[in-house]
Amino acid sequence: MFTKKRILQFCTAALIFLLADFWMYSTLSSDFRAYEAERNFNEIELFAKTVPDERTAQDFAQWVPTVKDIIPGARALYLAFDEQNFNFIAESGSETARALFQAYNSTPDFQKAMESVYYLEPMKLGSTYQADYSLDPDTISADTIRSQVYFVPVVDETGYQVSGAAMILVPTSTATGYSNLLKTLFIAAAVVFLGILLVLTFTRDPLTGFMVLGLFGIVIVFIAYPLIEAIRLSFMKDGVFSLQTWKESLSPTYLVALWGSLRLGVLTATISTLVGFIFAFLIERTRFKQKKLMTTMATMPVISPPFSLSLSIILLFGNNGLISKQLLHLDTSIYGLGGLTLVQVIGMFPIAFMTISGVLRQIDSTVEDASLDLSATRWQTFKEITLPLSVPGILSAWLLVFTNSLADFANPLLLSGDYRVLSTEAYMLVTGRSNLGAGSALSFILLMPTLTAFLVQRNWVAKKSYVTVTGKPSTTLTELTNKPVRITMETFSWIFLGFIASLYLTIVAGCFVVNWGIDYSFTLANWGEALARGWTSIRDTVTLAAIATPIAGLLAMLAAMLIVRKNFPGKRILEMLIMTPYAIPGTLIGISYILAFNRQPLLLVGTGAIIVINYIIRELPVGLENGITALHQIDPAIEESAADLGADVPTVFRTIVLPLIRPAFLSSMSYTFVRSMTAVSAIIFLISARWNHLTVLIFNFSENLRFGLASVLSTILIVIVLSVWALMQIVVRDDKLTQKTISTR
Amino acid sequence: MEKKSVSVTLEHVTKRFKDVKGKSDVIAVNDSHFVIEPGELVTLLGPSGCGKTTTLRMIAGFELPTEGKIYIGNEEVTMLPPNKRDTATMFQSYGLFPHMTVFDNVAYGLKLRKIPHEDIVKRVNETLALVGLSDYGDRAPSKLSGGQQQRVALARSLIVTPSVLLLDEPLSNLDALLREQMRVEIRKIQKELGITAVYVTHDRVEAMSLSDRVVVMKDGFIRQIGSPIDIYENPNSRFVAGFVGKAAFFPVRVKKQEANLWTCQLGEKEVVVERATTDVEVGTEAVLMARPESLRVTEKGKGKIEGKVRMNVYLGNSMEAFINTSFGEVLVQIDDPHAKKVFEEGEEVSIDFTPDRVRLLNENEA
Repeated sequence: MFTKKRILQFCTAALIFLLADFWMYSTLSSDFRAYEAERNFNEIELFAKTVPDERTAQDFAQWVPTVKDIIPGARALYLAFDEQNFNFIAESGSETARALFQAYNSTPDFQKAMESVYYLEPMKLGSTYQADYSLDPDTISADTIRSQVYFVPVVDETGYQVSGAAMILVPTSTATGYSNLLKTLFIAAAVVFLGILLVLTFTRDPLTGFMVLGLFGIVIVFIAYPLIEAIRLSFMKDGVFSLQTWKESLSPTYLVALWGSLRLGVLTATISTLVGFIFAFLIERTRFKQKKLMTTMATMPVISPPFSLSLSIILLFGNNGLISKQLLHLDTSIYGLGGLTLVQVIGMFPIAFMTISGVLRQIDSTVEDASLDLSATRWQTFKEITLPLSVPGILSAWLLVFTNSLADFANPLLLSGDYRVLSTEAYMLVTGRSNLGAGSALSFILLMPTLTAFLVQRNWVAKKSYVTVTGKPSTTLTELTNKPVRITMETFSWIFLGFIASLYLTIVAGCFVVNWGIDYSFTLANWGEALARGWTSIRDTVTLAAIATPIAGLLAMLAAMLIVRKNFPGKRILEMLIMTPYAIPGTLIGISYILAFNRQPLLLVGTGAIIVINYIIRELPVGLENGITALHQIDPAIEESAADLGADVPTVFRTIVLPLIRPAFLSSMSYTFVRSMTAVSAIIFLISARWNHLTVLIFNFSENLRFGLASVLSTILIVIVLSVWALMQIVVRDDKLTQKTISTR
Repeated sequence: MEKKSVSVTLEHVTKRFKDVKGKSDVIAVNDSHFVIEPGELVTLLGPSGCGKTTTLRMIAGFELPTEGKIYIGNEEVTMLPPNKRDTATMFQSYGLFPHMTVFDNVAYGLKLRKIPHEDIVKRVNETLALVGLSDYGDRAPSKLSGGQQQRVALARSLIVTPSVLLLDEPLSNLDALLREQMRVEIRKIQKELGITAVYVTHDRVEAMSLSDRVVVMKDGFIRQIGSPIDIYENPNSRFVAGFVGKAAFFPVRVKKQEANLWTCQLGEKEVVVERATTDVEVGTEAVLMARPESLRVTEKGKGKIEGKVRMNVYLGNSMEAFINTSFGEVLVQIDDPHAKKVFEEGEEVSIDFTPDRVRLLNENEA
């Protein structure tokens, strides 16, 4: 590929193009500058002609400021000609111009200009000067503005003799604005052209090249660039480099929040892992009957919308809660560490459950039989065989829940009370005090433990798995539990699930109550009001999620195909960048997005597009992983056959790859839809008056104690999410049948 | 389906891969240079890792040569992607599209070429008939036996009337009997259509029975190119001799050469040999290669090499006698054993051969 000849070709073509590009740019911009200068000259001469008939100092003082009517933002100074000393003396006009004149009037440039003016020739100084004034003459504040300096003669009544001169400052900013645009355009043209040239010269399959280039473009603009902006801003204060933000962020006030996050994370992770293990063990290692029902119920909280669990905990145990106040007349508060841990455990134990049962399922029960056969007791077998074998799963589960707990944003927002955690602290800084720099600094501090946990889980624990594929797995299971133990576990699990179910039922009940905590009489009024106030949000949320879903799904599958099947430089980097949003907290993504996309040419803040892009970027990692796993199970010869028969890369993707990995494609899409519908941590920064998100509306209602409305919207959201989820499950399950016939070639 | 046959030319083709750590280069194919004539079936034969599949994949366009050029006919295709080449590959795992019926599999290439539907139906049915699968159009590939899947793959390749048919160990997933049937069938169809074909295999019987010519490869190098008879009878090295068939090797010293008669010292006896590679020189050590069927067992003292029968293996049409000699164990194949005198296990015997049935090889060529 990279032969000398091609490199030479590429360099020559690139050089020619860059020269042409630069030549066009410089011609255009110098033409523009010349045109600008000429126009200014004309207008300044026009201004000189408006010189007052009465040539008194007072008239001049009134005349000079009118320059701004002819050239916007310009400043003028009247210089009187002193015949005795044969020089010009500043008389009246702008203070800025006067200061500039005093500073520079002895320089050769100024001397030359004044000489020229004496001979009635107007002149523009070759260099530009910095001066402090404002473009808007009515404000007092001043910026340092780069300006052109013009001198025009003012003749006396005779019309032949110079009596003075006007020195005029014209800001170059309008011109720079234009030439900056020109510069951006030509740089963009060069980048695009070089990219295309690169692909055309060095790949024999330009389509793949363009797709790779496109993907790189997307991840650089929408993943790398915002994060770099966030890092940059956290090191800036008033436009200069400063460690101030970081010093503040690492001060005791915020270290308390970091400590709070870590404490909550450890507690939640430990309890969730325990609960998850009990569920996993019951389902994978005993002859317990209702495995299917329990699995379904135990995985439900994963797709439940944020706030819903917190909301129902508040309804039951809050200050005016049904159980805490009405039934038990307690005065303890649910807000704080205790409540948060409870809600997070309920919301996150399914992660632990699924991770651990994945590992338990793979442990062939023959090894347990072997241990029992060697006359170990059941307890010994569990302790010495089953438990050690499931350690990687347990560790994985712990780390995953820990990461999730730290990144959790919705629950602390409602339930933290006086307890402080980093994710909400960053949010308060951004929304309450508009301190984006500090907000991003805090998010980065939060990133450290989450990223560490994520990387440890991925690169160390996940690889430490003992699970090996042995011969024929045993079909019968020898139970390691005796009856009392099993019944205890079963009872615990059912009570736990019952509690979760009652939480969801509470929300449903909340929809039909006039004023929770005060007036429990039945009403339907909540529905009317919630629908009236939330209808646009519901519509927008569904629309945006529906737009993002197919794009994210397709993009993920395409990326998976390129990464698994094609060779190109930077493949690892591309994969890493796509995976990045998976490991970083949503708050950080949200903050970095408002930082990066609040100005031209990528002014996206306030649009629906930024929300859609955010959905796509955040859900790409899971889709990519699904796609990669699915592709690894497909014989490459299938795709090669298609290419061999004449299909180009997009055709192979459309007719072969996509149909074959359809289960992965569909489940990624349903995942994206559900996650987008229930998103909150990044989205809360990106919503606008036009585009509101349902979850944020639920939060607003809960915060204002409008629990009835919040319950209605939560219920609607749960119903939407559940039905989409169920639909996809059915479709994917039907697909698994075809999938089976595929794999048994 | 008529099409003009074309040649395939490899011009000093070398392929280097990065090794697993990405540090050093591994040479998969080293300066391959040969021409496949129009309509010819050439087999690339060699042990695994010899570069035969890589060579095939370079012709198909799945791999790019690091150096050198590839021509199909007169057109250089070195850099063309697979979909722009007029080749069709049959893969070891067939690569059938599992989500399509047999009909759709076979029709795939035609659909890509935007051929009218009626023509597609007609041609697919013709091709399915050619491979004997007329009634299987509606089936899913997974519902077919290995041999049938193989035919589908063949039909799918043939229907696009490729200039070159590439076969990558297509029979290795079939059982022995089916393999023999398919071998004959592939050869028949290939000859009928007059299509140029490259066939990759590590099975010498397959190579011998199918090919017009065989390219024997090892460690990325081409060791010998020739007709099956040529490489069997006149191998140019010990490796080729041993890889394409059973052979016994005896160390000898070349004493003199008269015309095409070479006199060698074999142990204590002097023997005359009629055939030798060109690089055998008088006064040097050489290797005497003999095929088992070219050797004879005679009574003690009457042959050229003395030994003792260790074991007789009866195979029906022939018998294999394993004889311990001072040069190690030597295998002698006795055809039609009942018509001949059979020596018992443990008996002292002598091995004999005629000068025109053995060959001298340069000792340094492994």
